[in-house]
Amino acid sequence: MAVHSPIPGARFVDPAVLARIGNLEMVARTVVDGLINGTHRSPFFGASVDFAAHRGYVAGDDIRRVDWRVYARTDKYYIKEFEADSNANFSVLLDVSKSMSFGEKISKLDYGKTLAACLTYLANQQRDRVGLVTFDEHIVDHVPPSAKHMNVVLHTLDRARAEKPGHLVAPLKRLVEHFGRRGIIVVISDFYAEPEEIFDAVGLLRFRGNDVVLFHVLDPQEVDFSFVEPSSFEDLESGDQIPIVPAALADQYRSLVAAHIEALTTRASQQQIDYMLLNTSQPLDYALFRFLSMRDRMARTR
Amino acid sequence: MSFLTPLFLLGLAALAIPVLVHLTQRERKSVVAFPSLMFLKKIPYESVQKRRIRDWLLLALRLAALALIVSAFARPFLRGSDVAAAVGGARDIVVLLDRSYSMGYGDSWSRAQRAAAESIASATPADRISLVLFADHAEVALRSTPDRSRAVAEINAASPGPGSTKYGPALKLAGSLLAESMLPRKEVIVVSDFQRSGWQPDDTLRLPGGTAITTAVVEGASGPSLALTPATLLRTRDAGQPERVTITAGVLNRTAAAATGIPVQLEMNGRIVQTIAVNVEGSGSAAVTFAPVSIAATTTRATVRLGTDTPTGAAVQTGIAPVASSIDALARDNVFNFVITPSAPVPVTVVTQGNRGDANLYLMRALEIGQAPRFETSLQSIEALAGDAANRARLLILNDIAVPDETAAKLVTFVEGGGGLLIATGPRASWPAAREAWLPAVMAAPVDRTRGAAAKLSGMDYGHAVFEPFRAPRSGDFSTARFYSYRELRAAKDATVLARFDTGEPALVEKTIGLGRVVMFASTIDLSWNDLALKPVFLPFVHQLGRHLSGFREQPAFLTIGEVLDITAAEIAAGATSTAAVRSDSTRTVLAPSGKRRDLTVNSASSASSVALELLEQGFYEIRVAGRAPGPVIVAAANVNLAESNLDRMDPKELVAGVTGSGATGSTGVQDVLPDEAQELAQRVWWYLLFAGILLLIAETVLAQRLSRATR
Repeated sequence: MAVHSPIPGARFVDPAVLARIGNLEMVARTVVDGLINGTHRSPFFGASVDFAAHRGYVAGDDIRRVDWRVYARTDKYYIKEFEADSNANFSVLLDVSKSMSFGEKISKLDYGKTLAACLTYLANQQRDRVGLVTFDEHIVDHVPPSAKHMNVVLHTLDRARAEKPGHLVAPLKRLVEHFGRRGIIVVISDFYAEPEEIFDAVGLLRFRGNDVVLFHVLDPQEVDFSFVEPSSFEDLESGDQIPIVPAALADQYRSLVAAHIEALTTRASQQQIDYMLLNTSQPLDYALFRFLSMRDRMARTR
Repeated sequence: MSFLTPLFLLGLAALAIPVLVHLTQRERKSVVAFPSLMFLKKIPYESVQKRRIRDWLLLALRLAALALIVSAFARPFLRGSDVAAAVGGARDIVVLLDRSYSMGYGDSWSRAQRAAAESIASATPADRISLVLFADHAEVALRSTPDRSRAVAEINAASPGPGSTKYGPALKLAGSLLAESMLPRKEVIVVSDFQRSGWQPDDTLRLPGGTAITTAVVEGASGPSLALTPATLLRTRDAGQPERVTITAGVLNRTAAAATGIPVQLEMNGRIVQTIAVNVEGSGSAAVTFAPVSIAATTTRATVRLGTDTPTGAAVQTGIAPVASSIDALARDNVFNFVITPSAPVPVTVVTQGNRGDANLYLMRALEIGQAPRFETSLQSIEALAGDAANRARLLILNDIAVPDETAAKLVTFVEGGGGLLIATGPRASWPAAREAWLPAVMAAPVDRTRGAAAKLSGMDYGHAVFEPFRAPRSGDFSTARFYSYRELRAAKDATVLARFDTGEPALVEKTIGLGRVVMFASTIDLSWNDLALKPVFLPFVHQLGRHLSGFREQPAFLTIGEVLDITAAEIAAGATSTAAVRSDSTRTVLAPSGKRRDLTVNSASSASSVALELLEQGFYEIRVAGRAPGPVIVAAANVNLAESNLDRMDPKELVAGVTGSGATGSTGVQDVLPDEAQELAQRVWWYLLFAGILLLIAETVLAQRLSRATR
């Protein structure tokens, strides 16, 4: 069950094994608890009562939040702000388009569902309001963020099926209006769209003040293109077929995919969006660990 | 090596299929589901489509298998001689030697003899040789002998006859000879000039399986070829003059070169009567009309002859053609024989009773008009009939006569001996009650139709000889005749009703009794009970009745060799009073044109109503009743079949194909057709090819599976 870990002291679980468990809550608990126990710290989001900064009072501010001590010293009204002054909205946007059903050992969708469950569980443990949106070319299921929606989210995740062709931009643009309150938005998808289109849509979420995290889930075969036999390749979503001699174009394909990932990474960095490429052959908790570590580093630099 | 169905080789174009499969279909056979072709579509199309053949061995196997299978369907076969050599064993050889008269053209016969002798030159002592000489008929001259010299002697002894070529009987005879053979190899050698006229394709004509046919075409010398066509005789009779006949003969030029000044001579009883020179265009014909000649009282033997090569002696009398002719190389068709016989009338006796002779006026007038045959009518009282008068007639007509018992007995004898009897029933007609069962019908009471609508004739048996001429529309309307009275006839069980009244009652009833016939008419043959005698159909109706009842059959002036002469009919036509008289002595002597004499014995107990003789020689046959010679002498002319003089040749392959059911191969002169086993052996290549193709396909399947597994 445990796989070799590049991180000393950490034991990671094979995603294929996790996929066989079936119960997402148990999976999430297994992964998250194990992860936290293994690292002995919770690097995510920080404590909700941590002081962040003072700012000048403006009309309308609750006078209860005025720092009277500062007023006594300076005779000016300052409002004391904390890092997280309330429970955040944590929403997962899971791509359930047909392309997500691809995967040799574990499908991208199952990987994404497990990831979403883990993240939701983690957030819920921190008393954040958790929500979920599944989408293909339309919005399939929408669970609004709520502290009580953990089970609904898990149940919705469990029901999610990759059946229809997907389109990233249209559902995201429509979702923008649903996220009136700033929060954390995690987008899990294989991002088969042009980077410009992806960031046009994701950017809208970002510009509304949301903290956007992109999980780019890919199967190893999508990255390595390790096919040998000349075959007809059929697009899972459109049904188009192209006769392919893999040996003849594997290099070109790999370079195109690398360029795509590079473009996504660059654009995400430019827009201060967290982007992480996840390979379904990698253990999920390892991926989570890497991600949380990255968040932690970024939080410190922010 | 050749192919039976080379069109199948077009299937080799299918060799492109495996190549295309290797280039295209191979990739399409497995479909890989892939999340998105977004990146793959960005790769230039050429690089995607660029293919190369990887599994050369697999491709080679597939190409080879396909090529073998296509070749198998094209049915390759080996040329005859090699395979024939492989089939060993003793042969049963049947030599079919054409001895039709066309083989007498030039030196054809000597060539044929040489060809036949050469064809059996390779025969070993183990082989058996049969010799069949054929023309119209085929006869075994030598049956299954290992003695080749004897066969050659038989060949040399044979000579062409007057018959015409017919391959069917000869091949059937050869087939039956070979069917009895126990030798492993069977061979038929046909030596002939292969005239097209001699071959009629016959699906039932098949030689035994495994029979090889060798054809030896005999080509005669080229040169002029003239033939006489059948002569036509136009008889004319002027009042007070003897009957005269105008003879017209035709000359046919079979070659393209015109023939000029060809003498055509008419001989009668061996004397040259007239000679006319004629010019015939190339591939054309000309008619020669001789001046009318008077017909003698007896039968005249007439011959039209091309050229002036008059044979001497008996040959003149018998009409045999000379062996050689100065006109052309084929002498047989330069002679045409026929007989001119004075037309003999059919004696008809109309029986009267009392002073009612005028009652038969219409009947007598109608009979006197007859020309073919001519009826020689005489009136005879019923009382006189009781004597010997009946024997002089062939037909007796009783129009409303009360027949006494004694006369009835005479009539019974007359009819059973072959005479004809017509009984017209009127108010006075009667027949002895004791002999009623003999009649076709029993006369009952008269039916009076004078009140109301008169009776009409309907329901004629147009299939019968009496009504057959009236079968066609507008060929005579019997329904116009009105019958005001008639006798009710109760037809006997063995009688045939030929016509009925519109009430359904029999009007004309026929019964065959012994060798003769009796016909009963339900009304009179005068105007007392009906008006049939006033209708246009009366005359032909009476003539048909007379012909039918008298048993008259017109005799042809000539016959063709192979045809059958009906001696009985000829004797009747020659004036015999009744067939019974002719049959009283049932042995006849036949004198053939060649001078051979033989007796023709007829079994009087036989039910056959006529005596027949098949004509086999060219010339005049003479048949006379042996012994007391009470009957006439019959002379019949026999001529060769004109079709045989047409030397147009057929392709021997056609004959071989017709007999073997398959095409033949070989040289033009002599062709070899392998027996079925050898042919099968020669064509068995396809089987090996197909087998090899299937083996390759199996190998291909195994290899493909291994390669597929290896690439997974």
